[in-house]
Amino acid sequence: MTVTTTTPVSRTAPHASQRGPRWSLVRRKAAPYVFILPFLAIFAAFTIYPLVFTFRLSFTSWHGEGAARWIGWDNYTYLLSNPDFWASLATSGILWLLIVPVQVGVGLIAAVLLNSAKLKARGFYRTAFIVPFVTPLVAIAQVWIVVFDQNYGAVNSFLHLFGLPDIGWLTTTTWSKPTLALLFLWKTTGFAIIILLSGLQSIDTSLYEAASLDGASRIRQLWSITVPLIRRTIMFLVVLQTLAVFQMFAEPYVVTKGGPYGSTTTAGLYLYNHISVADLGTGAANSFLLVVILMTLSLFFVRLLRARD
Amino acid sequence: MSSLTASQTRLDRRPRRSRPAIASHLFLLLLMAAFLAPVVWTLVSAFKPANDIISNPLGFNPSAFTFENYRQMFADVPIGSGFLNTAVVLVFKGTITLLFAPLAGYAFAKYDFRFKSLLFGTVMVTLTLPIIVLIIPMLLEMKELGWINTYQALILPGSIDAFAIFWMRQVISSVPDELLDAARVDGCGEFGIYWRVVLPVIRPGIAGLAVLTVMNVYNDFVWPVVATTATNRQTLQVVLSTLAQNITGNKIGADYAHVTGELLAASSIALVPLLIIFIVLQKHFISGLLAGSVKG
Repeated sequence: MTVTTTTPVSRTAPHASQRGPRWSLVRRKAAPYVFILPFLAIFAAFTIYPLVFTFRLSFTSWHGEGAARWIGWDNYTYLLSNPDFWASLATSGILWLLIVPVQVGVGLIAAVLLNSAKLKARGFYRTAFIVPFVTPLVAIAQVWIVVFDQNYGAVNSFLHLFGLPDIGWLTTTTWSKPTLALLFLWKTTGFAIIILLSGLQSIDTSLYEAASLDGASRIRQLWSITVPLIRRTIMFLVVLQTLAVFQMFAEPYVVTKGGPYGSTTTAGLYLYNHISVADLGTGAANSFLLVVILMTLSLFFVRLLRARD
Repeated sequence: MSSLTASQTRLDRRPRRSRPAIASHLFLLLLMAAFLAPVVWTLVSAFKPANDIISNPLGFNPSAFTFENYRQMFADVPIGSGFLNTAVVLVFKGTITLLFAPLAGYAFAKYDFRFKSLLFGTVMVTLTLPIIVLIIPMLLEMKELGWINTYQALILPGSIDAFAIFWMRQVISSVPDELLDAARVDGCGEFGIYWRVVLPVIRPGIAGLAVLTVMNVYNDFVWPVVATTATNRQTLQVVLSTLAQNITGNKIGADYAHVTGELLAASSIALVPLLIIFIVLQKHFISGLLAGSVKG
């Protein structure tokens, strides 16, 4: 945006500042600084300062008491050579695979159906879909413990109705990740549907009419018109959910405590575990490794989008 | 449908449309059932005798309806103070967010100033930060300030977070520049433009931010857990989480049913306020969320 003086106009304007155009230009230059000041103060005190502190901490060995000992890159080399660190990333990676493609797929189908003007009861469905999104995570995570209990849980009782055997949802390494993924999917897919819906609403419907006349099937239309046109929205969702999945902490913390056998120790929970045993230097280094990984992943998705443009 | 005459129906080419329509509804109904089942199950099971919850998780015997789980839960869990603390944090943190995040978002969207791209870049980078990253230094900062177990520790950190700024910039970017220039020509001051021109236009976006803020504050868990050790300052979610620890911890066995009953009662009571708010405001809620997301 270019700053232009409005001298001739503001002189004739009835409400113009009495101190003249020069003064209004000064105010206009100063305005953005004033506007961001409250945000900047809070951001500096509770985000930037802690961040710098953490960065320094990542090069030290410190257990919360006494002086921190400078150890250079030791925390980083320790983590990078530690199989548990890689296992936590792998766990988050597997959860990502179980969550993001499913969410985008199911969310897209639901959003397309909800976007159709012909569908009855659209508002009703929309309302129902957003319900999980407004439930408190801790409350629902606790319900997960109860519902997926191997011996007393409602899910296994339901399976019994069909003669299916008990499944150790939260007690076996095979099922613990899918069960956790299910919690995440349940909680956030409604939000994904809303985001995708907002992308769909910006598409010109005449494109579909033309495609229908050309005899393109609904599935063909979805793949050839809808997906390319809202790929920005889809990418936005993918980036947002990638960040959320790799930062996932409260879910495994409440539901599985990272078990069984570390199978649900996500990158976020692994990081927390250093902190909970006051190994603060390692925790800080772990944070920065995670930030680098997440930024790389985000940039990768953005590049992917640019490449298609 | 039944009110349509035969000829209209034929014009509508109804037979060709009905099969996809049924499939659509089937898909949406199944999805809806999956989304609603855990909530309905929780609300219903909380009124079952504790032993029934685990011996017959799917059934419900109306004659066995009981408030016992709630009575027990209120006796064991300081849920009242949890609600109160959450409400206090919600009011103050919400006010700060809604006053200052749109203002900063406006500066980022509509002004050029020094360090703007550096600052906004920093904001975007912090979006990738897991909140746990900041926990250690924040905790030390709170100790330094003497803020452990205080409301200000729960309110100030994250009261204007990176996502709120990103969201508001997104919303305000769609306001045409001509509108602002016209106001300037009319002699409107810079804050006046924000207050009288921009704010009224972006009301749905603000509503969206309000929705997200209420939900984030109500559901926030990680920071309140570490910032409050005294029960009289713990928020609802923190109070709730101790119940889960009873289940996964040492109370397994005879007490399992008992704790489960309490837990479901507590979870239901935590679910209901947001559900009510949501159902009452659902129109604004969804249009608010739609306003801020990225358009195709």
